[in-house]
Amino acid sequence: MARKKRTEPIVTGRRQVRPDAPAHVKGVREGNATGNYEGQQGHLPDGRSTAARSTGINAADRDAIDPDMPNLSPA
Amino acid sequence: MTARSVQAQETRELVEMSWDPITRIIGNLGIYTKIDFKNREVVECKSTSSLFRGYSVFMKGKDPRDSHFITSRICGICGDNHAVCSIYAQNMAYRIKPPPLADWIMNLGEAAEYMFDHTLFQDNLVFVDYCEQMVKETNPSLLRRAETTQAPRGDVHGYRTIADIMRAFNPFVGDMYREALQVSRVTREMCCLMEGRHVHPSTLYPGGVGTVATPQLFTDYLVRLIRVLDFVKKAVPMNDDVFDFFYEALPGYEEVGRRRVMLGCWGAFQDPAVVDYDYRHMDEWGRAMFVTPGIVLDGELRTTNLVDINLGIRILLGSSFYDDWVSEERFVERDPLGNPVDQRHPWNQTTLPKPQKRDLDGGNYSWVMSPRWFDDRTGDHLALDTGGGPLARLWTTALAGLVDTGPVRATGRSVEINLPKSAAFPEMRLEWQVPRWANTIERNRARMYFVAYAAAIAFHFVEQALTEVRAGRTKVFTDFDVPEEAIGCGFHEAVRGVLSHHMVIRDGKIANYHPYPPTPWNASPRDVYGTPGPYEDAVQGMHIFEENGPENFKGIDIMRTVRSFDPCLPCGVHMYLGDGKVLRQVHSPTLGMSAGG
Repeated sequence: MARKKRTEPIVTGRRQVRPDAPAHVKGVREGNATGNYEGQQGHLPDGRSTAARSTGINAADRDAIDPDMPNLSPA
Repeated sequence: MTARSVQAQETRELVEMSWDPITRIIGNLGIYTKIDFKNREVVECKSTSSLFRGYSVFMKGKDPRDSHFITSRICGICGDNHAVCSIYAQNMAYRIKPPPLADWIMNLGEAAEYMFDHTLFQDNLVFVDYCEQMVKETNPSLLRRAETTQAPRGDVHGYRTIADIMRAFNPFVGDMYREALQVSRVTREMCCLMEGRHVHPSTLYPGGVGTVATPQLFTDYLVRLIRVLDFVKKAVPMNDDVFDFFYEALPGYEEVGRRRVMLGCWGAFQDPAVVDYDYRHMDEWGRAMFVTPGIVLDGELRTTNLVDINLGIRILLGSSFYDDWVSEERFVERDPLGNPVDQRHPWNQTTLPKPQKRDLDGGNYSWVMSPRWFDDRTGDHLALDTGGGPLARLWTTALAGLVDTGPVRATGRSVEINLPKSAAFPEMRLEWQVPRWANTIERNRARMYFVAYAAAIAFHFVEQALTEVRAGRTKVFTDFDVPEEAIGCGFHEAVRGVLSHHMVIRDGKIANYHPYPPTPWNASPRDVYGTPGPYEDAVQGMHIFEENGPENFKGIDIMRTVRSFDPCLPCGVHMYLGDGKVLRQVHSPTLGMSAGG
């Protein structure tokens, strides 16, 4: 079956603000906003992290082999 | 440019000499003096800056989260100090505390910055004034004596005579001059490891850092730090030998650049175990800093309380190209502790530039304002200086006696610095003693000791940071929301001294922002009460030791004094017009004035 042809390489929604609007305009997402930490992969609530912060491929296999070891994923 | 004219005043014959711009500093500084060559004395001195920056004007209305990126651009050599100071102010305004590892990483980056900048300035710029070539031109008899004077610490640094040390500092060819360039490269790399980039950091933010803390990061830092130790262990005794020789060979040299001990230090290196960036506890976490904030007055510690320091800051006019802001808006009536905040405090300042022609005879002559510290015990507006940075930092830390880590210990009258073993030297203990004077030599001597201080304390920071990493606590950032209304202030030490950033946020935007770096304090002109600024004060009344007469006068003692403060008025041009002939005098007004100004 032939694939449906796309006109844009990446489909995005309608923009809500002008790209050059200053970041403090209401409604613009802020990377620093509270709640973002919890939404990040591999960052644990107690301040530790797992290999999932560094890779999305078989992350659990890259975690420390001993639970007593610190989990130090690569940069 | 050196300019000169002769005038008879009262019974003394005064020669007007000026250096504008002064080279081998950062920025655009002019020193205008009247010299009595018969009595070998500088009778009057005025310091001017012909540069207007206007950060406080254009920061208004911007997103407060951008402020550390923007204010970093104030300086091309200590921009990261501005970024860090702005982040401290933002942390306070957003009411957040970064994770401990983030504070250790920032401390490590700043320690590297002090090592870099002090080394570059001391060995590549300041020591040109003390090198063999310069001393040969200004004080030939002193050089003859240096040739035959044994260096007391020669067994450590390997130079037999004082003249040998002076030769090592000759620009472009001297060993120390060239080694210092290498060291400043390595220390800059250390700063980049922690802050992403030098001199405008890319991984420092309010709430923490973007640096990914891995064991490799700290190992990379540590190997460089140990490499630098060899240089530090050699440089400190070399500096001591040269400066002690100046005191010994030129009796009275302690009076050069001497002024009343009025030093200010706003503290550096936060202790994450104590700091919460809350103004209400600023007294407590200020004192926990690894360089103690404080004001030293006539050799006594006046205060170490950052709240007192903050409330005492007054920005005066008197000889500056600005209109007064007394009738302008008052942004902060009271601080979060309920103390009243003065209209002349940076939180309430409104910058109203008024370009005009420079008038050195009783008029306005500088773009620099006159920051002063109001002493409520005496009612004086004190023209504090920073002693070039290190002198005030070491002096307050020594007297306060609060810092006590393994590598660094303040004793109440000195600072002990313990450096571990390195490739060429065994363990070494250095001790900086509180000097008898705040003068040119002591400002310069303290600088190299502070490089050692920063290197030693960096070992403590690496240890603490690695403890966090080994425990798996890798978090380096905390989330925050920008409040609609808030105030914040940051206190830090730029390399050359006190640095404060004051910010007011309204409607989520910057309503008022005032950075106060060290040079406005040091290079300030006469204020409204007629009090001269520190450069003026230090040079005025100074005895001249240079052997040259008026015809080929270099003003070396004046230059040594001004440079001892590590002036930084971004950014200047370098030129020298031979034997002091004025080729053409041009006054170029700025900021929309017509050309006739």
